[in-house]
Amino acid sequence: MPKSMGAVKQAIPAEIGGETDAAMAERETAAQAAAERKILPFVEGVALVAALVAPFVLQDYLTVFATRVIILALFALSFDLVWGYAGIMSFGQALFFGSAGYGVALLARDLDITNIFLVLPAGTLIGLTFALLLGGFLLLGRHPSSVIFVSLGTLTGSYAADRLARGWYYLGGQNGIPSIAPMTLGGYEFSEGPAFYYLVLGILIVVYLLCRFLMRSQFGLALAGLRENEQRIAFFGYKVQHLKAIIFAIGGAIAGLAGSLYAFHEGFVWPNMVGVVVSTQVVLYVLFGGSGTLIGAVIGAVIVEGVSFWLSDNYRDIWPIILGLLLLLVILFRPLGLISFVLGERERVGSFGAKPKETKEKRNAAS
Amino acid sequence: MANAFVAAFEILSFGAIIVLIVLGLGIIASMMGIFNFAQGEFVLLGAYITYLAYAKGLPIWTGMVAAPFLVGALGFVLEALIIRRFYAAPIVAMLGTYALGLIIRESVRGLIGGFYLTVPEPIGGSIDIGTMHISAWRFTIIVITLLVMVGCYLLLSRTSFGLRMRATLENPSLARASGISTPLMYGATFAFGSALAGLAGALIVPVFSLYADLGIRFLIQGFVAVMVGGVGSFIGPVAGAGVIGTLSAALPWVMAPVVADVLVFVLAIAFIKFRPQGLIAGKGV
Repeated sequence: MPKSMGAVKQAIPAEIGGETDAAMAERETAAQAAAERKILPFVEGVALVAALVAPFVLQDYLTVFATRVIILALFALSFDLVWGYAGIMSFGQALFFGSAGYGVALLARDLDITNIFLVLPAGTLIGLTFALLLGGFLLLGRHPSSVIFVSLGTLTGSYAADRLARGWYYLGGQNGIPSIAPMTLGGYEFSEGPAFYYLVLGILIVVYLLCRFLMRSQFGLALAGLRENEQRIAFFGYKVQHLKAIIFAIGGAIAGLAGSLYAFHEGFVWPNMVGVVVSTQVVLYVLFGGSGTLIGAVIGAVIVEGVSFWLSDNYRDIWPIILGLLLLLVILFRPLGLISFVLGERERVGSFGAKPKETKEKRNAAS
Repeated sequence: MANAFVAAFEILSFGAIIVLIVLGLGIIASMMGIFNFAQGEFVLLGAYITYLAYAKGLPIWTGMVAAPFLVGALGFVLEALIIRRFYAAPIVAMLGTYALGLIIRESVRGLIGGFYLTVPEPIGGSIDIGTMHISAWRFTIIVITLLVMVGCYLLLSRTSFGLRMRATLENPSLARASGISTPLMYGATFAFGSALAGLAGALIVPVFSLYADLGIRFLIQGFVAVMVGGVGSFIGPVAGAGVIGTLSAALPWVMAPVVADVLVFVLAIAFIKFRPQGLIAGKGV
C-alpha cells in the first residue's frame, strides 16, 4: 500500500503538467488507482448507512436536528457544485436558499398552498430563476467577469436581499414570516420527525446521485477543466461563460429546493436566511468537508453543524472563535478539506466520460 | 433652507465616514490585490481600543491616537504570519481573511458581550450657524477625513516610501532587482491599511456606539465602493467611497429607505458590470 501511495503522489504534479504527462501517469498508476478508487464509494456507503439508521439511534429532538443538518447538506451540495467543481466563488448562495424559503412561505401564508408537489418545485424554480438572473448578469456578457467581481457581486446581492427582507413589511421585516403551515401530501401533514427526515434524506440521495452523474459526464469534465485552467478550456472551443452560468443556475435550483424544505421544516423564515451569515455558513461547510467532492460537502455540513450543536451548550461563546481558527488552519494546511485525509487527489479528480476502462485498456495495450 | 443644509451636512458626514473606512480597504486592495474581509474587524478593534481607554478613565483621545498604531502593528504581524501566504490566490485570500475576521469579531463579542456600549464624543456639543446646529464631532470627522486623505495622497505620491510602495505594486520583480525589499513593503502596506481602519473605528465609535457587528456593517459597502472607484490606484477607491457614501446617505431623503438601500447596491453592481475598470482606471496614485 505505501508503494501505491507514492505512485499516486508522483502523479499529481505530472497531471498538472499537461495532457501527455497525465496520460503517462495514468498508465503507470492505472492498476494502483483501481485499488485506490474504492475509497470514495466506501465513504459514501458508510454515510448512507449512518444516515439511514440515524432516526432509530437518535432521540426525537436529535432526529429533528438531523433533519435540519440533511437539509443544510443539500444546500452545501449546491455550493459545492458552483465552487468545488466550476470554481465560481458564490458568496451569495443563501440568496437562492432564502428567497425560495420566503417564496414558499408566502405561498403557504397567502395562497394556502402547501402541497408538496407544488411547493418544492416552486421553491426549486424560484432558486433557479434568481440564479439565472443573477448568474446571467454577473457571468455572461461581452467581457468575461473577473473572479473577484463575481464573488463580490454575489456577496452584495445576498446582502442587498437581506436588507430588503429586513425592511419590507410584506415579508415580515426583522421578524420574518413565522408559523408557516406544514407541508402536506394529500391529507398527510409533514411535521418534524422521522417521516420528514426520510423525505429529506430521499431527496438528498436523489439529488446527490443526479449531481454525481452530472459531474462524471462530459459536462463535469469540462467544468473540472474550467476550474483548473479556464483559458485552455476556452481554447478547446467551449463557451466558458455559458458553462459557468449553467452550473450556477443548477446550484441555485438545488439551493432553492433546500431552502423550501428548510422553511417548512423550521416553520419560519427570517432575513438571515437570505443574508451573508448563511451564505458564509455554507462556504464553511464545503471548505471543511472538502470542496470538489460531493460527499465532502455533505460531511462538512454534518461535522460543522454537529460539533456546533454539541459545543453550543457549554461553549457557546467560544465556538465561533474555534470555528474561525479551524477554518484558518484548513485553508492554510488542508485546502482540500477534511476528506483529503482519506481521499487521494487521483480519486478526487476521478475519471470522466462513458467508458474510461475500455480506453485505458486500449492505451495499456498500445504501450 | 435650514433643512436642506442639515441634509447636506448629514450626507457629507456619512460620505466622510465611508471614505475613512474605505481608505485602508482601498490601499490594501489596490496595492496588494487582496480584498481584506478582516478590514471590518480592524475597524472594530480600533473602536474597541478607544472604548477601553475610555473605560479605564483615560482621556478618549489617547485611545483614538493609540488605536491606529496598535491595529497597524497587529496588521503587520498578521501579514507576516498569515496574509503573506495568500498573495497568489485572491479567492483564498478572501476566505482566509474572512476566517481571521471571524476570530477577531467573535473574540471582541466575547469581551464586550452582546451590548451596545456608548463612548462619548471627545468634542461634544454642536456648532451653531444662525439657527442651524450641526454636531461638532461629525464636523471634526469630516475635517480629519480630509486631512488623512491629503496625508495619504502626499505619502504615496511625494515620499520615497510611497515611491517604493508603488514600485512594488507595479512591478515586484523589478522592484526586488532594484534593491527594494518587497516582503517588507507588503508588510508595511498592509500595516498602513490596517492602521487607517483602526483610526476609522476610533473616530466613528462615538457616532455609532460599540457593538460586535460594527465593522461588518460597513464592509460590503466598502467593497462595493472600491470596485466602483476602480482597483489599482489610491484615488479610485476614495472617489468610489465618495459616490457610494453620498448615494447611500442622499437617496433615503428622496425615497423609501428600504428601496434606497437596495438601489445603491444594484446601481453599483450594474455600473461595475459595464465599466469593470471603475470610475478612475489605471495604476499609480
